[in-house]
Amino acid sequence: MSTVRKAVVVGGNRIPFARSNGAYAMSSNLDMLTAALDGLVARYGLQDERIGELAAGAVLKHSRDFNLTREAVLGSSLSPETPAYDVQQACATGLETVLGLSDKIKLGRIESAIAGGVDSASDAPIVVSEGLRHALLELNRAKTLQQKLKAVSKIRPKDVTPVAPGTNEPRTGLSMGEHQALTTVQWNVTREAQDELALASHRNLAEAYERGFFDDLVTPYRGLTRDSNLRADTSLEKLAKLKTVFGRQLGDRATMTAGNSTPLTDGASTVLLASEDWAQSRDLPILADVVDGEAAAVDFVHGKDGLLMAPVFAVARLLGRLGLTFEDIDYFEIHEAFAGTVLSHLAAWEDEEFCRERLGLDGALGKVDRAKLNVNGSSLAAGHPFAATGGRIVASLAKQLHERGEVDGRPARGLISVCAAGGLGVAAVLEAR
Amino acid sequence: MSAPARGIETVELPEMPSLSRLYVGAAREAAKKLVGKGKGRATLPAARHHVTGVLPDLVKMTEYQALLSETKLDIAPAGYLHALSFPAAMSVMGRDDFPLPLLGMVHLRNHVEYRKPVLYRDLLDVTAWAEGLIGHRAGTQVDVVTEVRHAGSDDVVWRGVSTYLAKGVFLPSVDKPRVAEPREEFRAPLPTALWRLGSETGREYAAVSGDFNPIHLSSISARALGMRRSIAHGMYTASRALAEVGAQKGDAFAWDVKFEAPVFLPARVCLNIGDSTDAHGAWVHSAFVGWSPTSGRRHFVGSVERL
Repeated sequence: MSTVRKAVVVGGNRIPFARSNGAYAMSSNLDMLTAALDGLVARYGLQDERIGELAAGAVLKHSRDFNLTREAVLGSSLSPETPAYDVQQACATGLETVLGLSDKIKLGRIESAIAGGVDSASDAPIVVSEGLRHALLELNRAKTLQQKLKAVSKIRPKDVTPVAPGTNEPRTGLSMGEHQALTTVQWNVTREAQDELALASHRNLAEAYERGFFDDLVTPYRGLTRDSNLRADTSLEKLAKLKTVFGRQLGDRATMTAGNSTPLTDGASTVLLASEDWAQSRDLPILADVVDGEAAAVDFVHGKDGLLMAPVFAVARLLGRLGLTFEDIDYFEIHEAFAGTVLSHLAAWEDEEFCRERLGLDGALGKVDRAKLNVNGSSLAAGHPFAATGGRIVASLAKQLHERGEVDGRPARGLISVCAAGGLGVAAVLEAR
Repeated sequence: MSAPARGIETVELPEMPSLSRLYVGAAREAAKKLVGKGKGRATLPAARHHVTGVLPDLVKMTEYQALLSETKLDIAPAGYLHALSFPAAMSVMGRDDFPLPLLGMVHLRNHVEYRKPVLYRDLLDVTAWAEGLIGHRAGTQVDVVTEVRHAGSDDVVWRGVSTYLAKGVFLPSVDKPRVAEPREEFRAPLPTALWRLGSETGREYAAVSGDFNPIHLSSISARALGMRRSIAHGMYTASRALAEVGAQKGDAFAWDVKFEAPVFLPARVCLNIGDSTDAHGAWVHSAFVGWSPTSGRRHFVGSVERL
């Protein structure tokens, strides 16, 4: 214990991401996570292996899946003696599993780990209304026939309507898109800039598929071999034709469309992490080191900051701790919840006043070189099955870093940031091996 | 309780009066008024209504907390104490010598000082009276004051002043309507929250507050009183804004709200809450405003302030 050593990324595996109510409409979170896990097991020869620990999670999770990750282990060809636990930190779930497990490896508590995440917007848990739920609970507590009848008599016709989960923030009633629409206006992000970012995402993802980049990162599932949201042939003209879907009450200041926002998506991802010894003793590749991570949260409820602005703070603190600047970063993986989110982050980091007053820096954090941003596409093109996004990014970035090797005599370095509901954000730094 | 000024009679009520009976009385009086020509009196009753030993109803308070999205703490929400003490205020307005008709009164403004926390198991004394009868360009307005004390104590822990307008009622010898105040131009800020209020909102708040004024219950009962649809209780919107100001307001605060355009149900209401802090970053004040995203009209505007 207490020996701080390196935690490395061996590789990753995911299933192609599918737009909701498409190829995976009949697959549950457990099905998809198990499929992604089985692909990882097959790729790295982990059959019957007792892994140190598995952590994964889902944002939209049915209460029967209280042990989702452990159930996925039992449904996979890993040793059934592999322990597992669930994590839930909204869209940062996947990245948080990587960071938490890496810390356990660094501390010497475990030798190997699998991080992951899954989400299904198609197979979402539907719950009964609060009225019906309270009546049923009262019925359950009732002892006499009279009490039972009284409980049942409280059910009203409108209570019978089931309730599907929404993406509304509980404290504001605004959907994530509506929140981002406000932030997008506050940071003066234009429709054109958002459409350009969306186009770059589709082009970069399509090119990465074309050159075979995802061949050892993605396992086909249910007939899909590529992410079904990918539009290789999209163009600025096509994106410009789409109607705005969020922030309509803003009138002509509304700029967010289905093209520059992520769609509801189904999918799962996994990442194999290990100590250097464990990977080397099994002749497994080492793609990257998990250097460090940082979580942040913003006070968005009364609009002090935008809902999805926490990564701005997480990144600044993380780079500060590591003594790094944007000049030291070769790849920026900024999760594209919405094009407006990424562009608001970039604008904040370029804003001297904001960086001085809110980030406590001497001046602007800096400008992100667009040629280094989301080079293999991101969520706008691939889609965004909430908890699965972190694993997708970590595995892709680790591979990209490994391919690049060294930059100016030092290991290539990548920065990840993921925004999440509740005003949360998580950032991480990886370095090439 | 402190002794009222000389010449003011204290009326001891044996228990909290029934609001439904008060509304029936008000309706009867309204029917009479169609024949007669108002009461014509221009003074307020020189009386304070006093109820001792009032206990919050934990079931009702819990339902109130659930409806207004308040965390279910043991401390009674400020708006729940308004609802709890409201029948005493209504009984003052329902007196035969009260100069304004009770039904159809418009709630213009509400100011509450919640000085010390009240727990659901605290026994309370409630005192209510009317004061400040003055002319308004559209009728006559009056303040109804309600004070809540811990039973047997002199310290006021909760004090509410509700300002009502009797529209179109002009009393002799009450000063002439003032010149209309210039209307503030309202430009909607960016919202920080959105409420989706269903047509059941009025009935749900009536159930937890006991305020069954027919204008809030259904479009049919509202139309009977000249409204085109039912409207949300002003205190529902104010209480929900208060709940959304959140835990930062602490245990002692003042809560003020001015009601403007009514919220016809069902409705979407945009809300903006802006916080201000002192030099140390501690919360001192939140301003809130609610408006219609469709018409752009302001429904209410108010503030919560540290006491």
